[in-house]
Amino acid sequence: MPLLQIDEVSVRFGGLLAVDMTSFDVEEGLITGLIGPNGAGKTTLFNVITGLQRPSTGRVRLDGRDITNMKPHRRARMGIARTFQRLEVFGSLTARENVLVASEKRHGAFGPAAGRSADEMLARVGIDSVANEQVDQLPTGTARLVELARALATSPRVLLLDEPSSGLDGDETEAMGRLLTSLAADGLGVLLVEHDVAFVMGTCAHLNVLDFGRIIARGTPEHIQSNTAVQHAYLGTGGA
Amino acid sequence: MNRAQNFAIALSAQLALRLGIEWLAGHNLGEGIGDLWFSALFAIPLSVWYATQENPDTRRNILVYATTIQLVIGVVDEAWAGRDLTVESVTRLIVFALPLAGIYAISASGLVVVYTTTGIFNFAQGAMGMFLAFVYWELRVNRDLPTWIALPLVVLILAPMLGVGLDRLIMRHLQGRPLVVQLMVTVGLMLGFLGLSATIWPQNTGRSMPELFGTDGFEIADVTVTWHRLTTLVTALVLAVVLRYLLFHTRTGVAMRAVVDNRSLAGLNGARPEVLSGTAWALGTSMAALAGILIAPENFAAEVLTLIILNAFAAAIIGRLRSLPLTYLGALILALAVVFSRTFLSLGQRWGQAPLAIPTIVLFIALLLLPQAGLRFARINAKRPRERVSTVRDAVIGAVALFVVMFVVSDFLSATNTNRMITGMVTGLIAISLVPLTGWAGQVNLAPVTFAAFGAIAYVKWGGDEGMWWAPLLAAAFAAPIGVLTALPAARLQGLYLALASMAFASMAQYVIFSQPTLLSTSSSSAQRLDVFGYSFHEGRPFLMLCTGVLGMMMIFVVTLRRSAFGRRLVALRDSEAASATVGVNVFLTKVIVFTLSAAMAGFAGAFFAQARGTISAQDAEFTMLAGIPVVLTLVVGGVAFAAGALFAGIFTVLLAIIVATYDISWLAALTTLAPGLAALGIISNPGGAVGEIGRAFAPLLPWRKDAREIQAAEKAADAEPEVGELGITRPFTREDIMYVEKQLGVVDDLIPNGRGATLAFAPD
Repeated sequence: MPLLQIDEVSVRFGGLLAVDMTSFDVEEGLITGLIGPNGAGKTTLFNVITGLQRPSTGRVRLDGRDITNMKPHRRARMGIARTFQRLEVFGSLTARENVLVASEKRHGAFGPAAGRSADEMLARVGIDSVANEQVDQLPTGTARLVELARALATSPRVLLLDEPSSGLDGDETEAMGRLLTSLAADGLGVLLVEHDVAFVMGTCAHLNVLDFGRIIARGTPEHIQSNTAVQHAYLGTGGA
Repeated sequence: MNRAQNFAIALSAQLALRLGIEWLAGHNLGEGIGDLWFSALFAIPLSVWYATQENPDTRRNILVYATTIQLVIGVVDEAWAGRDLTVESVTRLIVFALPLAGIYAISASGLVVVYTTTGIFNFAQGAMGMFLAFVYWELRVNRDLPTWIALPLVVLILAPMLGVGLDRLIMRHLQGRPLVVQLMVTVGLMLGFLGLSATIWPQNTGRSMPELFGTDGFEIADVTVTWHRLTTLVTALVLAVVLRYLLFHTRTGVAMRAVVDNRSLAGLNGARPEVLSGTAWALGTSMAALAGILIAPENFAAEVLTLIILNAFAAAIIGRLRSLPLTYLGALILALAVVFSRTFLSLGQRWGQAPLAIPTIVLFIALLLLPQAGLRFARINAKRPRERVSTVRDAVIGAVALFVVMFVVSDFLSATNTNRMITGMVTGLIAISLVPLTGWAGQVNLAPVTFAAFGAIAYVKWGGDEGMWWAPLLAAAFAAPIGVLTALPAARLQGLYLALASMAFASMAQYVIFSQPTLLSTSSSSAQRLDVFGYSFHEGRPFLMLCTGVLGMMMIFVVTLRRSAFGRRLVALRDSEAASATVGVNVFLTKVIVFTLSAAMAGFAGAFFAQARGTISAQDAEFTMLAGIPVVLTLVVGGVAFAAGALFAGIFTVLLAIIVATYDISWLAALTTLAPGLAALGIISNPGGAVGEIGRAFAPLLPWRKDAREIQAAEKAADAEPEVGELGITRPFTREDIMYVEKQLGVVDDLIPNGRGATLAFAPD
């Protein structure tokens, strides 16, 4: 059984169908990519999966259990973690405190476990040197890593990443790719929304292409690269 | 089975509520059961409806309807004055209610227009109307100008000028500021206008506002309809038509509505936000003035006119702060309820002031019916100064220093000044209850003094009459569940509604709860000062030292709390509710818990308030809703996120009291109202509050604060670096820089959900 199942989900904002009967799975130990042009509905899907947006129709299942009507914090405790495309850090806290808020929910506020796990996550994403800086003062790329460390500190089973490489330079992006691969190797299911095509092709085992709220193609990166529908979606049907 | 259970629970809850009302009305159980059949007529179908619904939102709404219906049935049945429903009495009801509805609607529409266009909820709407009504009185009565000059002059010229001026000087700078700042500035304005009018027009001289066109009128079914009432009603209707036309058929109006939906897109389409917000404020202020002038003949008193706003709040919330037709409907419901209770109900001594609480009760019901809001995302252009969180060691040093200084100072204080200082320390104790709630979690409670009042009542009832050492703890325990009840209806909504709920609760407590003989006898009850393990704190100086010590301990407690997991969680909640939820924080529960903690801390402070006064009675002026607001404002001015901010609030209060007493000048009499109101405007430029600034300036001077010196040096170095324009090319872009660019480009707004709407404005790459 897939770890996370998105089953015929639609989201309607007034007259606009942002997500249209979309289904796909996220498997344990694999990085699944979700790509598509701006406004294809990727972030909306993330919000549906994490419970910030109620779908108009369709179900979301974790381990086969229907979580469609569950509150966001309950889903987080069941193992769904995410980062945001537009930063949602706790800006007035330090990087370490950001991660602590998450690890204290996971390990309890008392005893050393939460602090130890927070330090471990900061080190794992490579920002332990700025642990005591206030996050508002950090560059955007670093703040993104704070979000990632915070998400990891909830000990998730599924990790949803919304454009993790934006704001990172080339070396950092490469390090991010290695990190994601190692996370997947630990058994985590990763769902990745990304615009950096090279990054996506290099890290994902499986890709879903979303356009106007619909999945227009799915498969391995090689398969997707040769798909004409995808080229149309990205480059426009009329011109190229 | 499940449905049968739900049915049984819903039905018995409704009947229990009805029996409760019977009990409050002084009936015995037999009489109560005899009266139940009529309630059951409504309760049974509602329970069936409840039991057959699946959607939790629908079920909650059904429960709210059912409660409201039982409440109305119960109150009407018990309090019926025995007056017959005749053509005359019903006509009278309508003739009185419709113009009143018109006034509420005018005021509420002003509120809605400003809120939808600028995102600012104007707590000062009533006070501005009051102030302009006084200006009108000055021109019309004192200067004897004819109505046809005075009225247009105030409503069409002075009011819009005031509105545009406020927009220019104050409101425009509130865009994108934290909610606490936005709310506190308009609450401060409310107090400022009250103080200003009390300064210009001293309250003790009798004034009356003439009705438009005298007392003439015509008769319908033996009821005189004055021209004033007719004009009021017609004005409200004309205004509705004009607003409708303006918002749907003029360029500016359409843009104003567009701004609400999406501020940045409206900007891209060529609308000029500053013109729109100026227009909205001009309109809103005109409407405030109109409402104030029209209602003033009924009761020309500054406070009464200011509090008309509670009716407007209720009507506007029924309109969900968006819909003008629903706002008008809300105004009508309110006016009917108010006039109905005056005409047909006789409430007796005990419930005599209850009709004054009608707007707040309606407000509560409207809050309960609001749909669940989405979780708040971070504000993109929030700008936070670099702040160091105090260590527990700092707090201990501070508390000890405070104690020592106070010990020395108190030796020189006269008995009067000792009492003032005691008041200051107690104010600090009340204020510190808001630090976790408002300072960290970003939730506003305008009623800390009301919770303190519950603590004071608990103190005099249980143990405080003998000065038992555990009585303050009991007072805290008594106030806590009351906090839960206040927070529950609003905690699932966004911050503004919690502020409104707390304000409504304060006014409800003032009019309905404190006058209950089971809580307080009308004669005053005495509060003995504490005896702790044989040592008595009865005298002035020992009691002052006790209060100082307790405040110091609360400061240490608060600082410790901030450094705990709970404290971090609260700050996280303020910075991003959405992110808090996705790491597993239960946002609703956390809000309720911190509100409860705050209520308990205020209740604890209330025990000391009672001791400071010595007696407590239902009539204490300190327990009114308006009297509690300066405490909140001075705390915010001091620094709402800091324990030291509470100390600042206390000392500010003492200084004001001393200034007013020392310089016996009549125009200063309103200073205790005016000063906190005006000081609140200072938080626009300095949202962190005074203590933050003071700390930044003085911490580097302390020998043990090496870190503060390092930060100062780093900031100096950063200032000295060459920069190009506003963006430093010599350092990496920080989030603030990016926010700045985005703001300059005018493309980012926290209202846009990311997605197609945002993207279409920019060509996809």
